[in-house]
Amino acid sequence: MLVEYSSLITLIALTAILAFSFYAVLIAGQLSLAQVGLASLAAFTASLVVPDEPLFGFIPPLVIGIVFGMCVGVIAAFILGLPVIRLRGVFLAIATLAFGEMVRIFLINQTWTNGAQGMSFPKLVGIGTAWIALAVVAFWFWRLSGSRMGRAFAAIREDELAATTMGIDVPRYRMASFVIAGAVAGLYGVLLAYFSRFADPNEFSFTAAIDGLVTAVVGGVTFFIGPVLGSVFLSVLPELQRVLGINAGWIRPTISGVLLLVVILFLPGGLSGLIPRRKSAKRLISDPAELPALPDLLEFGTELVRLQSLGKSYGGVHAVRSVDLTVNAGEILGLIGPNGAGKTTLVNMVTALTAPSTGTGTVLGINLTGNTKAHRLAQAGVARTFQQIKLFNRLSALENVLVGGYRITRDTLLRRLLFLPSARRWEREAVAMASAQLIRVGLGDKAANAAGDLSYGDQRRLEIARALASHPSLLVLDEPAAGMNHVEAARLSELIRSLAADGIAVLVIEHNVRMMLATCDRIMVLNFGEVIASGKPAEIARDPRVLEAYLGSSGSDEDAEAASVLAAEDLAETTAQSVRDHDRSQTPGATDATEPEDNR
Amino acid sequence: MQLFLDGIFLGSIYALFAIGFTLVFGILDRLNLAHAAVFTAGALVGIEIVTRFGVPIWLLIPIVLVFGAVLGILIERIAFRPLAGRHDAHFAGLISSIAFGAIILSLMQALYGADTRRFPTDAFTRVRVEILGATVSLLQVIILVISVSLMIVLTWLVAKSKLGRGMRTIAENPHAAAVLGLNVGRISSTTFALSSALGAVAGVLFTLNVNAASLGIGHAVELKALAVIIVGGMGSLPGALIGGLILGLAEVLAVNYIGSSWRDMVAFGLLFLILILRPQGLFGARKTREV
Repeated sequence: MLVEYSSLITLIALTAILAFSFYAVLIAGQLSLAQVGLASLAAFTASLVVPDEPLFGFIPPLVIGIVFGMCVGVIAAFILGLPVIRLRGVFLAIATLAFGEMVRIFLINQTWTNGAQGMSFPKLVGIGTAWIALAVVAFWFWRLSGSRMGRAFAAIREDELAATTMGIDVPRYRMASFVIAGAVAGLYGVLLAYFSRFADPNEFSFTAAIDGLVTAVVGGVTFFIGPVLGSVFLSVLPELQRVLGINAGWIRPTISGVLLLVVILFLPGGLSGLIPRRKSAKRLISDPAELPALPDLLEFGTELVRLQSLGKSYGGVHAVRSVDLTVNAGEILGLIGPNGAGKTTLVNMVTALTAPSTGTGTVLGINLTGNTKAHRLAQAGVARTFQQIKLFNRLSALENVLVGGYRITRDTLLRRLLFLPSARRWEREAVAMASAQLIRVGLGDKAANAAGDLSYGDQRRLEIARALASHPSLLVLDEPAAGMNHVEAARLSELIRSLAADGIAVLVIEHNVRMMLATCDRIMVLNFGEVIASGKPAEIARDPRVLEAYLGSSGSDEDAEAASVLAAEDLAETTAQSVRDHDRSQTPGATDATEPEDNR
Repeated sequence: MQLFLDGIFLGSIYALFAIGFTLVFGILDRLNLAHAAVFTAGALVGIEIVTRFGVPIWLLIPIVLVFGAVLGILIERIAFRPLAGRHDAHFAGLISSIAFGAIILSLMQALYGADTRRFPTDAFTRVRVEILGATVSLLQVIILVISVSLMIVLTWLVAKSKLGRGMRTIAENPHAAAVLGLNVGRISSTTFALSSALGAVAGVLFTLNVNAASLGIGHAVELKALAVIIVGGMGSLPGALIGGLILGLAEVLAVNYIGSSWRDMVAFGLLFLILILRPQGLFGARKTREV
């Protein structure tokens, strides 16, 4: 029985390893088809270095082949990655596919590979070796999934831009996933060649790449066991049909095709989606004792942002012209203005998502130039939310906030591989930090919900929690109250004041002028890319130019409401002042109630 | 001159195949990997029709067009429409179209076996004509005329007709198109039908050109077509035409001057180079990301 199926069982393991190579890139949202090309490169070059006898008398030839093949895979993947890593989606798939085909044609035209005749290899791989190798690979991906690196991959898959603003160096992580895939592909190539005792470059074709991809996707890429399930399913299927006596040449591919179609259409998460499992990052850790030790924020009043005549033009259109601005630690600076005034462009420049066309700017000691990387600013302590919510929709609320903690947590992958206690402690610290932020914004009871399923207001709050998890010095909020009702907006206002009281500098864009007047220390008004007024809320409310800007604008509902608030503000200036005083007197009390980490 | 003409003939078939590919990608943002199977099926069914009924070429092409269109509608209904709205529609669409393509191919195998098939030797004209000092068969000229006129009709359809406006609206924003009252489902179906009709005809023309069809011909052309649409620019119809011609010429020249074993390197080398130097292709527009 075992003898009869030993080659099938070995092949299941090998196919699963190939599928893991696809899994490695798919978890980071990349579709690469270079894997079989890398595998073939590894297999054929390994044949040049693998000795007949154990090296130094004790290192088995296969070990040398595996190590060499994995190195070849890593190096080739890295070199391939340098030019193609910036491509996305289908383009990346096609470029890597072209690479795979180029490798194949190159190897076929070489004399040392025997060209299309193929090459024989000694049989060094059996059932045991194959499954041990698979176990090692699966173990690696299992430990990866709960580590900081695994979370970074997931974040990149869900939303690259948001991941960048969490401080994740997206190109580097994409390259990392590429190189990991290369190593696994190299392993697969060597094992396959030394198992089947024969290889010709044409076996590592486009079709083989597609088979590998299909195996990975059928198995599912949300759970590390997916590639194994996919491999079992797709390898056993033809065998099962053979046993059942289905022999006509065309029936088998038809049945396989139909089953594949059924799986992909009706099981969105692949086969591994069928396995019920414990979600690791679901439970809050609200014990303040487990919070990580964080560096103190900068002293109140320290200048964090200084912009000098910063401007941005698109073609001939000046989105922002010549803005001067400073933001200090512990201060709330509001940015208001009619729709299209250039507010979002301005904060995009402050967070290095948009390169300024003119002027200079410094944020947390980093100069804003065309080359400033957004993730570097994020690592320096800038966190932001987006006007159009950019959450990692398929991750749970807690997982979203955990990604936000990227900047202040350490990578745990290597320690997790060795099961060091520190890995567990660090992960618990990260969860505690994330839990504290969720509780602070009032989402403690929704930690396990997928971010995409939350209500609009909750999603806004979750974005703020995610930004806070990085322990930022500067927090940029782009329309945080959009879609919130008055009660929610008032609570948000309290939260923002409490953040400033902690020493965070908050730069906030908002259309809710009433809330802004009550929240901000200073307000800048932008219209047509220019600052038309700047000062304390009371001065802004009285400034006729501001009212005029809103009245004269194209007249969206938001702008009209802002204008009416400003008009009312003129009449009721004193009332507004008293409301503001009232709000501020409330703030310390509110802080105590909503901030568990103050107990630390 | 001979080389040049050979390149144009080959290139026009690549272009016809690729234009169907890029049509679906440009409008629906989906890569339909069952297109190669449609190509093969078109070729094999075409051979069957000619062998059995002896129809002339001017009747064969419309029949194959209809056959391809029906396949296209099936592909859209079965492999793509059920995925609408799924977050992984991209990956899933690739896989489901691969699966559907495999099913088409296995059915072809059931009907016609796995052997190479040919048109009956005397089915079509074998007149050879001389153009500018090069000898070409009349059949090749007919192939060129058919493929170029089909491409022109398609380009006109997309640029000028009401259907084409609907397609381009969907390409811009499917959601807004639905709000505007466009029947997105029907336009998607039509796009697939057009695309597959061209793919099936390309299969017939390819087979006429080399007079051999087997289950595997689709794969080779599929890879070439990917190169063509990247070189021309994803989603650009004129780009696919020019890309096809460039590739056809480059291959013929490569075979002549470098050797046939390196022929395929040309396509992929070109593809790789374009992707790195100008990812939007020669005729594609760069898409900007939004914050």
